[in-house]
Amino acid sequence: MRIVHYLNQFFAGVGGEEAAGTAPAVREGTIGPGRALAAQLGSDHEIVATVFCGDDYAASEASAPDELLELIRGASPDLLVAGPAFTSGRYGLACARVAAAAARAGIGAVAAMHPENPGLDEAEPAPVIESGKTAREMRPSLERLAGAIETLSRGEELREQDGRIGKVPRRNRLAERTAAERAVELLLARLGGDRERTEVLLPNFGSVTPSAPIEDSGGALIALLTEGALVPMGNPDRLESARATRWLRYQLEGLDRLEEGAFQSVHGGFSTVAANADPHRLLPLDVARDLEREGRIGALHHEYLTTAGNGTQVATARGFGVEWAAELRQAGVQAAILTAT
Amino acid sequence: VVALAVGDDTSYHDGVLTVGRRAAAELFTHPALVEVRICTASPGDRTRIIKALDAVEPRCKGADAAGEVFPGLLGPAQLCGRGETHVLRGAAVVSAGFLPRAQESVLQMSGPGAELSPLSRLHNVVAEFEPATDAPWEDVASALRLGVLRLAAHLAQAARGATPDGIEELEPLPAGTGELPRVVAVTNIQTQGAFKDVLVYGRSMAGSLPTWMDPCELADGAVVSAQYGHPALKNPTFVHQNHPIVAALRASDEVELAGVVLCPEPVAEREKRLVSEHSARLCAALGADGAIVTKEGGGNADGDVALKLDALEDLGILAVGLFAEMAGRDGTAPGLVVAPSHATALISTGNYDELVQLEATDRALGGERLGIVDAAASDAVELPMAAIYGSLNPLGWNRVTCAGEA
Repeated sequence: MRIVHYLNQFFAGVGGEEAAGTAPAVREGTIGPGRALAAQLGSDHEIVATVFCGDDYAASEASAPDELLELIRGASPDLLVAGPAFTSGRYGLACARVAAAAARAGIGAVAAMHPENPGLDEAEPAPVIESGKTAREMRPSLERLAGAIETLSRGEELREQDGRIGKVPRRNRLAERTAAERAVELLLARLGGDRERTEVLLPNFGSVTPSAPIEDSGGALIALLTEGALVPMGNPDRLESARATRWLRYQLEGLDRLEEGAFQSVHGGFSTVAANADPHRLLPLDVARDLEREGRIGALHHEYLTTAGNGTQVATARGFGVEWAAELRQAGVQAAILTAT
Repeated sequence: VVALAVGDDTSYHDGVLTVGRRAAAELFTHPALVEVRICTASPGDRTRIIKALDAVEPRCKGADAAGEVFPGLLGPAQLCGRGETHVLRGAAVVSAGFLPRAQESVLQMSGPGAELSPLSRLHNVVAEFEPATDAPWEDVASALRLGVLRLAAHLAQAARGATPDGIEELEPLPAGTGELPRVVAVTNIQTQGAFKDVLVYGRSMAGSLPTWMDPCELADGAVVSAQYGHPALKNPTFVHQNHPIVAALRASDEVELAGVVLCPEPVAEREKRLVSEHSARLCAALGADGAIVTKEGGGNADGDVALKLDALEDLGILAVGLFAEMAGRDGTAPGLVVAPSHATALISTGNYDELVQLEATDRALGGERLGIVDAAASDAVELPMAAIYGSLNPLGWNRVTCAGEA
């Protein structure tokens, strides 16, 4: 098979975070992990080209998957292989999106990442193969990926035993008995010593390691973000009040205050009366401008990002988080205040 | 009740309940309400009820019993739960219309959509209302609530002379024989202010510590819903009168019901922790071996269930929690917003986000338009399960559940 390999700027050897804005590009043959992957693959397969892109660019530019797809098409591959992205969020999203774009365009595609990577949910219709958590597990991750490529080359579907990951959809159905009756039965089982039985497994939300504090707040560019669904009056872009599927950005340039009547919260999960009377209770522009004047922060980012955090799917929210981080890094923001309701 | 009618006078004969138009309207007399219209919606009617608010089972006390149903609202807040109570099984009084903070609900009375809610299987006396132009919404809600409770009592009174189809004797709770495991129904009720509150003996539990209640008090209407949000995740007055966990525990000969611990759902985490530990302490004092914990409301209330499950198990009381899942439209997202850390026995009342298709109906009650999908009230629509009244009922009223595809 002719294979095109996708990497981020780091694994492509372009650079670290300082190069995360790198635009999509292509090189002939293998780079970095691609060489090790090629060594795992038999002589029937060849990595003919490597496409790469900066993490911030891939996660924040809506056109990135299409731009990458054009570069991939140029090498006429039978298969696109993306990653492994491990637990890296932006890289995982990029791998998922480029694999999905290739699969939709009729090119075989497979991505590799850790099951906790937020990109996992965006790869459909392309399959995802499990990788380790970090690049320390590069070797076993590539071995599993190479095995999956062999399976695909035989025209077979990837299955769990190949290391395929992805969530099993849960569907509503009518049980024979009410939830109350099932609860009593479950409690009896638990009282009887069965500590395993349940209808819902405990979720694993993972955990986020806080960044180190910024060293010089007086020189830092600070952004204001909110999940309080604060939008201009009349909600011109129709942000959802619950179960949001998107986020929006609005200008703060030239604004000193958020006047009552100029902004409103469309959040459906709390009483918005107090927030609408004084939108600063959601987005503290008033004190942020004071701090800016006093020189205690360098400057305030020229726009704020907003969504409605109300019944939002976790996967969607994690995707927003990755996109916001990429967006803010692109803009040179060092720290952000995200207000929650 | 096997059939409903609207007529000149209220009466009950052989299962046919006739709602007296004028008498019913008078029960809603209040400066905050300009008009109340009484309609009926029975199982199989090609009818949809939208913006359904509360649902109440018609009940009244026997002629010789002391007190009144819904103490604190229809009469003094004196202890109830003793003596004869008359019940019109198969019927409900349902208020329907706009109130602030009440996300629009939908209830289908026929077709596949009617399978999704237990309320679709009841004969519903529906009260639509017109608020007075300048009345505060809190007054409208309160007038409507009182009217619905009065109507529920009034309808049951019409049947007080009829021979009952069945008699159920609810024994006072046993003190505990030590032979069977004692189980408490830990029942969280929403306390989020106007339009999202629950009344216990007529007053909000906001700011209270949990309390114990005899299930017979619930049967007489000691707990009344003033919570109009969360269509799928609300506990209407009907389910407090017919507490599904209590009923299932009573039906089991392997456990001993040790009563209900009612607990508010504060919004601040430290308050949630406080009431959770106190609930567990109450259960321990009741000699509980097990507990079943339920909630009312969306993701915020998952925290109340999770904290209580962990607090109970920490005291050696085995616990089961009921959760609805917010697993996304495709059912692949993690279903719980806040999960317990070590209590693991969980019941799923279904996925909130999954879409359901509802057939068009011949008529709709409760409003002209369905704002969430911007459609006429009787149109064929596609909606998340979250909008179907009572579908994911947190107290375990319904049969919807959610599971991975095989």
